Amino acid sequence: MKEYRFKIILILAFTALSIYLLYPTFQDYQNNKSLTATLEATRDKVQKLNPDLSKDQVEKLVTLVEDSIKIADPSILDARKKRVKLGLDLQGGMRVVLEVNTGKLLEKIANNPDDVFKKVLAEAQKEALKTDESVVDILGRKFLERNIRLSRYYGTIRQDDAEIMDELTKSSEDAVNRAMEIIRNRVDQYGVSEPSISRQGSRRIIVELPGVAKEEEAKQLLQGTALLEFRLVKDAELTYPIMQRIDDVLAKRTESGVKDSLGNDVASLDTTTKKTDTTSLTDSTSQLSEDEQRAKFQVEHPFFTAAVLNPQSPFADAYVSKDDRNKIEYWLGLPEVQKVIPDNVEFVFSAKPFTSEDGKQIFVMYMVNKTPELTGGVVTDAQATIDQTTSTPIVNMEMNSEGATDWARITGANVGKRIAIMLDGVVFTAPNVKGKIPGGRSQIEGSESMEEAKLLEIVLKAGALPAPVDVIEERIVGPSLGQDSISSGFSSAMIGYILVGLFMIIYYRQAGTISALTLVLVILFILGILAGFGATLTLPGIAGIVLTIGMAVDANVLIFERIREEMATGKTMKASIDSGFSRAYSAIIDSNITTFFTGIILYQFGTGPIQGFALTLMIGIAATLFGALVISRLVLDVLVSRGVKISVG
Amino acid sequence: MRVFHNLNVDFLGKRKFFYMFSLALFLIGLLNVVFRGLSFGIDFKGGSEIVLQFEKQIDITQVRGNIENIGLGNVEVRTFGGETGALIRTELQELPKDVYPRVVKNVEDEIKSIIPNVAFNVVEKTSTSITYSFPNPDTTNLVSERLLAAGFQSGKVSEEPDNTQIDVSVGISEWIKENLREKITGNSFRVIKEDRVGPKVGDELKRDAVIAVFLSLLVILIYLGFRFKFVFAIGAVAALFHDVLITLGLYAALYGVIPGLNLDIDLSVVAAFLTLVGYSINDTVIVFDRVRENMKIHKTLPLMEIINKSINQTMSRTIITAFTTLISVFVLLLLGGDVLRAFAFTLFFGIIIGTYSSIFVASAFVLEYAEKTKKKVQFS
Repeated sequence: MKEYRFKIILILAFTALSIYLLYPTFQDYQNNKSLTATLEATRDKVQKLNPDLSKDQVEKLVTLVEDSIKIADPSILDARKKRVKLGLDLQGGMRVVLEVNTGKLLEKIANNPDDVFKKVLAEAQKEALKTDESVVDILGRKFLERNIRLSRYYGTIRQDDAEIMDELTKSSEDAVNRAMEIIRNRVDQYGVSEPSISRQGSRRIIVELPGVAKEEEAKQLLQGTALLEFRLVKDAELTYPIMQRIDDVLAKRTESGVKDSLGNDVASLDTTTKKTDTTSLTDSTSQLSEDEQRAKFQVEHPFFTAAVLNPQSPFADAYVSKDDRNKIEYWLGLPEVQKVIPDNVEFVFSAKPFTSEDGKQIFVMYMVNKTPELTGGVVTDAQATIDQTTSTPIVNMEMNSEGATDWARITGANVGKRIAIMLDGVVFTAPNVKGKIPGGRSQIEGSESMEEAKLLEIVLKAGALPAPVDVIEERIVGPSLGQDSISSGFSSAMIGYILVGLFMIIYYRQAGTISALTLVLVILFILGILAGFGATLTLPGIAGIVLTIGMAVDANVLIFERIREEMATGKTMKASIDSGFSRAYSAIIDSNITTFFTGIILYQFGTGPIQGFALTLMIGIAATLFGALVISRLVLDVLVSRGVKISVG
Repeated sequence: MRVFHNLNVDFLGKRKFFYMFSLALFLIGLLNVVFRGLSFGIDFKGGSEIVLQFEKQIDITQVRGNIENIGLGNVEVRTFGGETGALIRTELQELPKDVYPRVVKNVEDEIKSIIPNVAFNVVEKTSTSITYSFPNPDTTNLVSERLLAAGFQSGKVSEEPDNTQIDVSVGISEWIKENLREKITGNSFRVIKEDRVGPKVGDELKRDAVIAVFLSLLVILIYLGFRFKFVFAIGAVAALFHDVLITLGLYAALYGVIPGLNLDIDLSVVAAFLTLVGYSINDTVIVFDRVRENMKIHKTLPLMEIINKSINQTMSRTIITAFTTLISVFVLLLLGGDVLRAFAFTLFFGIIIGTYSSIFVASAFVLEYAEKTKKKVQFS
């Protein structure tokens, strides 16, 4: 037995690892089932209690309950993160390929596009459809043919064509970055879970939004235009009293009990969570009183529990954890809360959360003027650079003459105050005004890294210049179709396994039984590896697994046939197994490697679902080889060494 | 249990017959490809495809009838999944010229019903969208929201507060959905799948697919060239070519013949072809592996006999390995659903042809080459 010990440990380790990696998937499945049931019940309850609520409002409340359940049990999110990811074709969602419309962009940034320009541009665009040459290059060539200097439409009179061409090429590339950032910002705010926004080639953006089936809504996210605003941040002296009033209103609301069923649900859910926390985590009495104090504070100051202020800070910026954001937004939308917030201000959040010391994602909440001081149309350029004297990243911003005049007045009147730079309703940064800025050239400090400065540069430009995008490919899968696909894939795999397994058992008897059982481990390994690598399972991926079931036994067939041949020459069982494996080896390796190669090529060539297939195919081959050459071999060897008689049929 | 045990058939002696057979299959395929053509899905052709799920059972001829006269010309309509699903597909990228005014009128009627007597101007009309301008930002916002709610694809041109323009998309799928919503009453539908592929993307995908297939053939050629003698690698790849071409021919021949079987060539079919290339080589490798072994054992035997012997010896495993894979592919063909049907079909027939060619074509090619060059074929 000693000689087999290493192999046995290896197999057991792989099996345990696969089960460990797959457990979250199973857990997530269970969680989803109970979560859907709870939410369904809540939805019914809310609708019954408040029949006059609009669908949107009901959904908002249900989301709040969902959030609170998730906060109460962090393992839900944990399992979700670690489960086998499902492709868009299985869980539903949309995949859109966008291409920046260079032609439209060129027209937008041209100085005074006349008819000649429009005609040439139209020709260039038409030609670009047929060739791989970029619109900028074609346009440049066409103007050259007509002896028109590019400076007539772009740049300044002193620049030569080559210089302008460089600039135009750069700005068309910039447009892709801008469009990506605009879309990412919107998608983030919209709350799609696990979105993916990636760049393909020089002009294309691939946006994948799992679970989004509301096509109309989603399409709104995918436009290249955005609103950039400069809004005044209100002082602490003004903000704090308003927050206090909100807090009072909310505290009274919980005290007086039912106002709407759900606010209550949320509150009660919160307290129960906290209670279980205290009982499980603490037993010393002194701490308990601290916790009691916290619970008391929570009841008396619901708003300040979720929106935390820093007492040392001169600003009244509230820190809101990502988990509480929906709740805060819901509270701020309540009519009685709206009543205590002045009409001319509103609360807005930072675009991206920062990570606190205890690992939580924290958004900053500002109170700003509702009316912007300026909008992005006045920004003409922005550039992220390193400040020569302090060697910190800064962003230089330039405005047109009209904007510059306003800007000088605004900054002059608000020295020492902060102005929030907002894109599509969220704050990217809120720099302090150090002094009046005449001439429209401003310098924005405070970026913590060059990436952050670059992002701000893109944001500033996004307001001024749209990045017109065209949808060139679009695939939407509804959630029900995905569900059907999963179940049909699952049953195909089961039936495929049963049929192939039965055949092996009938044809190769005991040896066949061993390979049929090995197959279970092989499938387990495939799924485990998929989960471990965070790979995505797609419908063709499931097809790949079904296919693997049929192909996995091929290696066994080769070996068993060989063993039969060897036994026919009169060798002993043990000798036949040894030479059967070693002689079948080269054919097995050669044939599997070629299939593996096509898998690699397929992975390179394919997109989304097809890549999923290529991946399961490749993983399947690796698992198959392990199954046939290590596991089946081991079982056969062990049984034979114990004197068990094995039939290969 | 055993099949093809102790087989002793002179396969290579009958190779002329198999040449004829393969040639016949190939010609049938070729004629079909030339005269009937291959049906490409929208992945490669570009176009729009919508799958609708109706609430109740739907008569597909009713859907077809309603779509035929909305001016889109040749629109393919067929059932999808069960009796409540309908797939609608058109190659068109944009609305035909004669339909365009009808769509525009539709949009403008809707605007007028939102705010009667509102003054609006058309700023720009392209084949896929219309830009309207309104007197003031508030009206603009209202119209944009209501149009969206009414099922039109509209959006503000810019988010600036003084924006007075909206963009309304006028695509094929919008037009189809709108018409069906109006005409089929009492049976509402949801869109469960919608694909739109631009013509440029389609061309690129087609190019990539061809490159991928050739690249995998090349990689196999090189790998087998290393592992066996080069002539064997060429024989194997020739057999693969043979498999791919005949399967492709079968596609053309069977397209539209079997009801309910959708044989459009889409991305998943290309994946199936590549898998076929990778898989179908397996059986050939098994035979060649045995040839290599037999050449070492029987040094004096003529090549033809060695190959014949090898094919006979490996026949049972060639058939069984193909059979087990066919079982699972067949299950996929039956139960895998509409999305995977063409994929499974390709593999099913591809594997059958691939197994046939491993036995009868690949080795025959090697022998042919050896006899022609009068060289002694050797391994390493």
